[in-house]
Amino acid sequence: MSEVPAADRASLGPSWRQVRAHVVAQRDYGAGHRWLELETAPEFAAPTPGQFVQLLLAAPAPVLLPRPMSVASAAKRGPKLRLGFLYGAVGSGTRALAELVPGDPVDVLGPLGRGYPLETPGTPVLVAGGRGVAPLLFAADTLRRAGRRCEFFFGARGRDTLVGLEDAQRQIERLGGRLHLATDDGSRGRRGTVLELLERVAHRLPPPLVVHACGPHAMLAAVARWALARGTPAHLAMESVMACGTGVCRGCPLPRSAEGRARHRLMGGDAPSLFGNVEYAMCCTEGPVFESAELDWERVE
Amino acid sequence: MKLKRHAAKRGALEVERPVDLAVTIGPMTLRNPVLTASGTFGYGDEYAHVVDVAKLGAVITKTVTLKPRPGNPPVRIAETPSGMLNSIGLENVGLERFRAEKLPKLAGLGATVIASIGGETPVELARLLEALGNERAIAGFEINFSCPNVARGGARYWAVPRRLERTLEQLRPLTRAALVAKLSPDVTSIADLAIACEQGGADAVTAVNTFVGMAVDLEHRRNRLNRATGGLSGPAIKPLALARCHEAAGAVSIPVIGSGGIMSGRDALEFIAVGAAAIQVGTLSFIRPRGATDVLEEMTAFLARRGMRRIADWRGSVMSEPGTSPMPDWKQPASGRKG
Repeated sequence: MSEVPAADRASLGPSWRQVRAHVVAQRDYGAGHRWLELETAPEFAAPTPGQFVQLLLAAPAPVLLPRPMSVASAAKRGPKLRLGFLYGAVGSGTRALAELVPGDPVDVLGPLGRGYPLETPGTPVLVAGGRGVAPLLFAADTLRRAGRRCEFFFGARGRDTLVGLEDAQRQIERLGGRLHLATDDGSRGRRGTVLELLERVAHRLPPPLVVHACGPHAMLAAVARWALARGTPAHLAMESVMACGTGVCRGCPLPRSAEGRARHRLMGGDAPSLFGNVEYAMCCTEGPVFESAELDWERVE
Repeated sequence: MKLKRHAAKRGALEVERPVDLAVTIGPMTLRNPVLTASGTFGYGDEYAHVVDVAKLGAVITKTVTLKPRPGNPPVRIAETPSGMLNSIGLENVGLERFRAEKLPKLAGLGATVIASIGGETPVELARLLEALGNERAIAGFEINFSCPNVARGGARYWAVPRRLERTLEQLRPLTRAALVAKLSPDVTSIADLAIACEQGGADAVTAVNTFVGMAVDLEHRRNRLNRATGGLSGPAIKPLALARCHEAAGAVSIPVIGSGGIMSGRDALEFIAVGAAAIQVGTLSFIRPRGATDVLEEMTAFLARRGMRRIADWRGSVMSEPGTSPMPDWKQPASGRKG
C-alpha cells in the first residue's frame, strides 16, 4: 500500500459513472427468474465478473432506491456495451424490472465494487447456489476467453431452481470444463448440498484450487469455513441491502474477522475512506467479493 | 431605475439574465441556496468525479465526532414506500482524520464547506469547535442536535430548549464561522427549539433531520433494521418537513434551512416559498449523485422562466399570515420568549 505516493493516492478516487441505458432483451429464465439485457453508452466502463451495478427505474417507479445487481454477462457491441442480468422477480423493484420491454430506459451506475481475482493461478473452482449463479456465468465466460478451464459446481433446492443451467452447461462444455450438479432433493445431479459435492470431488481436481463462489450467505459461510480449514483460497460474493452502492451512505456493513481487522489496521491511514472501518467492511466498495479470512462468518447474517 | 425599466422592455432577452441566487447566513455568503445534507454526500470528495462541488451553495460534510465511530451493526437500511429508513449510527472517521485528510481535499475542490459536528454532551461539541473553529477552510458548522440512531447524545437528548440555548451560548465564542443548529422534527414544538437556538446565538437552524420510523419483517417477525427504529427520509417526508420548516421560519428571524425529501428544483422552491433561506438535498444524492446540481439547475430555470431576478423575492412568498396558520400557537411558543 505504501508504494503509492500520497499525491497519487488522492487521485485514485472512484471511477464509476451513471448513464442512461436501454433494454435490448428480456426473457424468461425459468423458476420465476428473468434475463435482462441492457445496452449502455460508450463512456460506461466494462465491468469484471463479481462487480455489480445499480439499476434505477425511470420515473414514475414503484420503488425509490436503485437496485444493486451483479453482472451476469458483458460484451462490447461496436462502441456500446451490452450487460446481462439474471434476477428473480421477488420484490416490487425486480417485479417492475420484469415489466420492461426493449427500448425502455434504465439508468445504470457502475461498475461498482471489487470482482473475483480470476487471474489467480490454479484451478478455478466456481461454486454457485441458486440464482447466485449470475456472476459465475460471467466468470466462466471470462475464463473461457482466457483459455482456462474451470470446475463449475452448481447447487440448488431442486432441478427447477438450477437457474440458467443450460447457459452454464454450454459455456463450460465449450472448453472442456466440468459441471458438477447437486440438488437438496436429488432431482438432478447428486443429492445433497453443493459443498458436500465439492468435498467429495475436491481431491480429484488438479491443485492448487482457487474457489470463487456466490449464493445464499449460509452457503457462502459453509464454503468459507471449508476453504479456511483446508487452506484453499476462496473468494465469496456477498449481498447486502444498499442505498447508494458507492460507499457514501455507509448502509452495507459486514462484520470483519480478527484477521480482517488486522488487515484493515495494517492499511492504517491509507485505507480509502469509502471502505469500511476497523469493525465493519463495506459490501459495496470492499466487496462484494471478499476473501474467506476477511469476514466474521459467525456474525454474517 | 431607468436602466431597469429599459431592461424590462427587452422582453425575451431579460429571461436570459442570470438569477441572483446568493444567500447570506450569518457571516457566510453562499453562491446559491442548494446544500448537500450531512451524511448523504460523504466528505464531499467521494462524488467529485461526477459533480462539480464548487457549483453548490455548500457541501455539508458527514457528521464528525471527537473519536472515529464504527457505526451500528447491519441491517442499516430499509426501503419503505417513497422513503428509506437508515440506522447508520454516526459512523465517521473522527476529528483528526477529518481535519488532516478530508478537509484539505474538499477545500481543494473549491467547495464551500459546512462541517457537521456531533457530540454526546455540550463539552464534546465545545472540544470539536475548539479544534476546528479557526479552520479557514470551514465557512460554517452545522451542529447535529438530531441524530435519531445513537444511544447517547441523539435527537431526544437535545430536544430541550434550555439545553440547546445554553449549549449554543457556550459554543458561540469558539468560532467566527456560522453556527447552524440542525433540529429533529420529532418534537412537540419545533418553533420552541428554533427560538432557543436563536436566543443561544445560532446563525440559522436546519429544519429538519429524519423522522423516527420503523419497519417490520413479517416473514421473520423481527425489525427490518438492527435497532428498533431508524430515521426516515425521502419523498415520503416532504409534506411533513415542509410544515416543520414553515413553522420554524415563522418563529425566528434567523434563516431557516429547509430539508426533507427534496427530489427536484420544484421541491426546493416549495421550501423556499414557505420561508427557507436555503435547502438541503439528501436522499436524492444516493439515487442520483448529481442530484444536488440538478436541483440547482431546475430551480434556476424555473425562476428564470418566470422572470424572477432574485431568489430572495421567492423566499417566504407563500408563508401564512399570522392567525391564518393551522397551528395558531406557532407565534406564541410555550417558552413565551418571543411573541
